[in-house]
Amino acid sequence: MARNLILYSVLPVFVALFLFSPETTQASLQGDLSRFLPGSGEVQGWERDGAPQAYRGEGLYEYINGGAEIYHEYGFRQVVVQDFKRKDGKSISVEIFEMEDPESAYGIFTFKTNPEDREISLGSDALLSDYYLNFWKARYLVTLTGFDEDEETIRGLQNIAHSIDTKIKADGNRPSLVSALPEEGLERASLKYFEGNLGLHNSYPFFTEDVFRLKEGIKGDYKGGYSLYIIESRTAEKGPVDFDDLKKSFKASSRYSHFRSLEELIFRVEDRKGKQVYVTQSKDKTLIVIGTVSQERIKNIFAGIQEIK
Amino acid sequence: MAKGIGRREFVKKTAKIGFSAALGGSVIFPWLNSSVQAYDRKGIDIAVAIGSDYLKNTIKAVDLLGGMKRFVKKGSKVAILPNTQSRHPGAYTKPEIVRAVIRMCKEAGAVEVNCLSWLTPKHWADTGLDQAVKEEGANLKLVDSDDESLYKPVPIPKGVSLKEAQIMKEFYNNDVFINMPVTKDHAGNKFTGTMKNLMGLNFRRKNRTFHKEGWQTEQSAIEHLDKCIADLNTVIKPALCVVDGTELITTNGPMGPGKLIKPQKVIAGVDRVAVDAYCTTLWGLDVRDIIMINKGYENKLGQIDLKKTKIEEVKV
Repeated sequence: MARNLILYSVLPVFVALFLFSPETTQASLQGDLSRFLPGSGEVQGWERDGAPQAYRGEGLYEYINGGAEIYHEYGFRQVVVQDFKRKDGKSISVEIFEMEDPESAYGIFTFKTNPEDREISLGSDALLSDYYLNFWKARYLVTLTGFDEDEETIRGLQNIAHSIDTKIKADGNRPSLVSALPEEGLERASLKYFEGNLGLHNSYPFFTEDVFRLKEGIKGDYKGGYSLYIIESRTAEKGPVDFDDLKKSFKASSRYSHFRSLEELIFRVEDRKGKQVYVTQSKDKTLIVIGTVSQERIKNIFAGIQEIK
Repeated sequence: MAKGIGRREFVKKTAKIGFSAALGGSVIFPWLNSSVQAYDRKGIDIAVAIGSDYLKNTIKAVDLLGGMKRFVKKGSKVAILPNTQSRHPGAYTKPEIVRAVIRMCKEAGAVEVNCLSWLTPKHWADTGLDQAVKEEGANLKLVDSDDESLYKPVPIPKGVSLKEAQIMKEFYNNDVFINMPVTKDHAGNKFTGTMKNLMGLNFRRKNRTFHKEGWQTEQSAIEHLDKCIADLNTVIKPALCVVDGTELITTNGPMGPGKLIKPQKVIAGVDRVAVDAYCTTLWGLDVRDIIMINKGYENKLGQIDLKKTKIEEVKV
């Protein structure tokens, strides 16, 4: 009896230690995502509306129907969806996506955000649009959608997001390639990180073929009115895509015209919309600037590419 | 579930209501659509009504094409296919537009207007479309997306990537088909409009084959999706397309949430390729980049060159 009493009094301590050990916290991140959702009333005024819906792997198709490709390109694992409502009928939908790793979560975050979005302090990065909010943290992307732009709804988005943010007890870093972009003049909300050609194609349709043999890429818009792409190819260890092959691809494509070599390692073409596209290579990267920029400025921009941290 | 319409009965019915506007005319007798094309050559190909009252826009756009009586004959059964994929703003066909089409069909003498879908009642409730359908006296016919027996195998003789479709049998219980998508971004093939909306009639598991195994994203996989859609369009011809271009997402499609623009336009036309080509201009896409529309043109489904079409834009 006495032995049982000792056992019963000590057991909860062991259970608590087990549950909150760093290893277990990490392991539990792979489980049910609904644990990150606020309960009814946890965020003042907002009640859960129905039960959470979860979709894993291939099951994303059931939820998202068309358009699942881009999530899979970035390494989709699972998603949980939960609606919230207020007594006055306002509604918010929450989606928590678990991706393969923090880089993937960051990538799909940049895919889903817009240059016009407003930065707010949540997770690792957060951007608020007119009626929705995205933030990423660790390997999670959280998307909250309001169905109007009223102040109450926007406040609700932020409050629910804050609750989820505090429940995700992990962190992660942006992909190192982001650090290659020069900081000066960079519009941070414009960043797009690519892990495949579909993401790149959605940003700018360079080619219909995999000319860059894309491994990863980053794009940023700059205050000078141009965009800078840094693309690393899958054969990076052997160097980038052959520069002459790259020239040939741009020359052969009907998307581009007015090919002109500016220097030995820089050439320029014009796209269908009349935008200038400047291309060069540096070490293992292909560098591209799109925009109307002087020849002198182009050399400075390319020279400003940072060493990856 | 009622049985699909028989071929003989189908021919009798289409003869009664006029071949040109008959649903599925191209499935059995492709040449039956020629009278519609002849009409188009004389009149307006794409009618666009612009304004903040989306119901009025819809009525105006259809009026510009000659009115609903041109497409819906007295006593006919009409199938309509709105997009109810997501309740996110700019991702579904607006209830006001669906209301207007139902009303016009009834005024033209339709005995039944049937909204078809394999999506769930929740999709229809969340978008407010179920209420519009009910209040306008139309029928909501939801077909189980997993029950293959409710879908009819339809060979695609001209199919390049898709040799057989599986179309919901309920579709064939109607005489006229009005396609009612919202045009918007699509992360896969960059655009969705009239042609892609037809996937909403096809068996869901069959639609999955439009996407490559493992959700590949290289260009050939995207091309496969677009070719399948173009192939599917060779066996279903809408009598009329009414497209919601009022509020739409230009990023993160087709589900959203995404960047919302509000052109406040309702676009109507018979030529689906031309209508889709017009819709790409709403957010500055280059139609040459949209494989599906180019394939539709190659399949002789319509005109891709907007300079060769007559477009009428009217403010309401």
